[in-house]
Amino acid sequence: MQGRRNFLKLAAGATVGGVAATLPGTVQAKSCGEISWSETVDTLVVGSGFAGLSAALNVKRQGLGSVLVLEKMQVIGGNSAINGGWLAIPKNPTQLAQGINDDSPEELIKDQIISGRGMHNEAALRQIANHALDAYELCIDTGVKFKKDFNIQVGGHNKARAIRTQHGTGGDITTKLYEAGVKEGVDYRLQHYIEDFIMDGQQIIGVKVRKNYRFPDLKTGSSVFIKANKAVILANGGFARNMALREVVDPSLDPTLDCTNALGATGEVTLTAMAHGALPVHMNLIQTGHWGSPDEGGFGWSNALLSIGWHQGAAISVLNGKRFMDERADRKTCSEAIMKNRYQDGSPAYPIVLFNYNNYAEDHRVTRAIRDKMAWKLDSLDDVAAQFNIPASELKRSISEYNTHVNARKDPLFNRKMDTAEVLTGPFVVSRIWPKVHYCMGGLKTDLAARVIDGRSMAPIKNLYAIGEVTGGIHGEARLSSTSCLECLAMGIVVSTTIKADLKGAV
Amino acid sequence: MNKLLLTALLSFVVSQGAVAGELVKMKGSTKGRVNHEFIYQDGCQSCHQGSGKKNATDAACVECHGDINSIDVDETKLAIPEADPHKSLHYNQGASCLACHGEHEKKAPVCAECHRTWFEEM
Repeated sequence: MQGRRNFLKLAAGATVGGVAATLPGTVQAKSCGEISWSETVDTLVVGSGFAGLSAALNVKRQGLGSVLVLEKMQVIGGNSAINGGWLAIPKNPTQLAQGINDDSPEELIKDQIISGRGMHNEAALRQIANHALDAYELCIDTGVKFKKDFNIQVGGHNKARAIRTQHGTGGDITTKLYEAGVKEGVDYRLQHYIEDFIMDGQQIIGVKVRKNYRFPDLKTGSSVFIKANKAVILANGGFARNMALREVVDPSLDPTLDCTNALGATGEVTLTAMAHGALPVHMNLIQTGHWGSPDEGGFGWSNALLSIGWHQGAAISVLNGKRFMDERADRKTCSEAIMKNRYQDGSPAYPIVLFNYNNYAEDHRVTRAIRDKMAWKLDSLDDVAAQFNIPASELKRSISEYNTHVNARKDPLFNRKMDTAEVLTGPFVVSRIWPKVHYCMGGLKTDLAARVIDGRSMAPIKNLYAIGEVTGGIHGEARLSSTSCLECLAMGIVVSTTIKADLKGAV
Repeated sequence: MNKLLLTALLSFVVSQGAVAGELVKMKGSTKGRVNHEFIYQDGCQSCHQGSGKKNATDAACVECHGDINSIDVDETKLAIPEADPHKSLHYNQGASCLACHGEHEKKAPVCAECHRTWFEEM
């Protein structure tokens, strides 16, 4: 295709408008004249996580012509490939086999309305929930395997409806969707970074893309223009890894907070869409988890390990050897308490969580954490004090005091619920903690059919669609576990029917 | 030409019993892998799409080594059986060679972003 060049003359002033003035070095200079397209496709998908992979396969199956997926990283799957592989599906076969017959999309929406705290979009949640079984079928159809007989109730859901992939990772889904797409003729390219959109007034007609890009160096690779005849689908995920942006929209998100997301979750395509008029909503609604460990990357094992730690153990500050919070309080309360632990220069003094080893020696949460050196088995409080540089006498005094509170089933210090707390005698499992940023509820405003809304006209930008975490305003204040995978897969199906309908309308 | 490369490579593997080469000074200040030494004699273009100024892609790797699922990994060296980077639960066929391998420098594989104790720089 190298020799094939398409030329397009843009009407003077039709493109980018005033926005380009703030984006030096972008397409403005060229768009006054002719654009030499290096290739042309029918549908172009940006990003290769659950949303992008689902959209690409479903658009291909709609028979709308060629589909090209652009991924900036060196692997397919984005953050989805490393996620936990949870999927909320009301009326899934395992749930029905468990005798749970009273679940429905409406039941799921009810739960999401509670966690959305008035900021959610009920109609959008309904659009997604009503496609849950279709999303499940898409998985089964492409060869995704789920854990046998596994269907449980996860946080904030009123029923057991979450299934999990065979290996407990979203990679079980992304690899299958990708391989199905390859088989059915979807074209995928790694290391393609979107530099800009090419607009013809209120319509997107292609992208400027840096090919052979090596994350994160923007000097690598070279720029080409790819024309998209029918649609551009943004499926580029969230921006939880964009430290500058997340701190601008939520100043409480300290730069010392690591992130559960893959490194590529930096959101520059979201910003490019905004620069071309796409309306951002709820950008400051960013979910953090207080269960992160600084001794592992990504989401890791810490969350699971701490489900023992918060209940049966204690959290201790390394600064003074004392407890400092109600370990069973909610995410926000705990995050704020944890982040107060700092050295004089402001750097994190990662608190420790410890619990008794013997009762949990064979528990997978413990064996994996110790194997991967994000938690340690230590025999005595002296060993704990030495390893984490805690004043030993203070630590011993705190644990002794804590044990009297456990026996009394009353915590006068922080009023923690002590029903599950154990007297700490050692040997201990010890890990370090610090909150991590997890999910962006905010992003681009779309209509129910995934069309991106222009904030100036409040009308869809022609041929531009967005699905998955890049969109905003759907979940509201907080997203429930196992609903993002569902959203991405379901909206990949929805967007394919939208594009087909829009093309019919255009004829 | 390809056949020549393949023959040279095979004879190297058989004689040395190694798959990933040591990183040594190759040309001027450029470092490279000893098992690729014979390629350097041809200049940079065999990997760099005709010009040393252009970034290499997977094509050159695949030409000699085959695709990711056809390259065996020594299972005795894996921290746990699931840690086979060529049959990754997260990426499987959807990973570029370059995600984990560097020719001119030591590089940690993409897996090490999360699994920090399973994989070392290569």
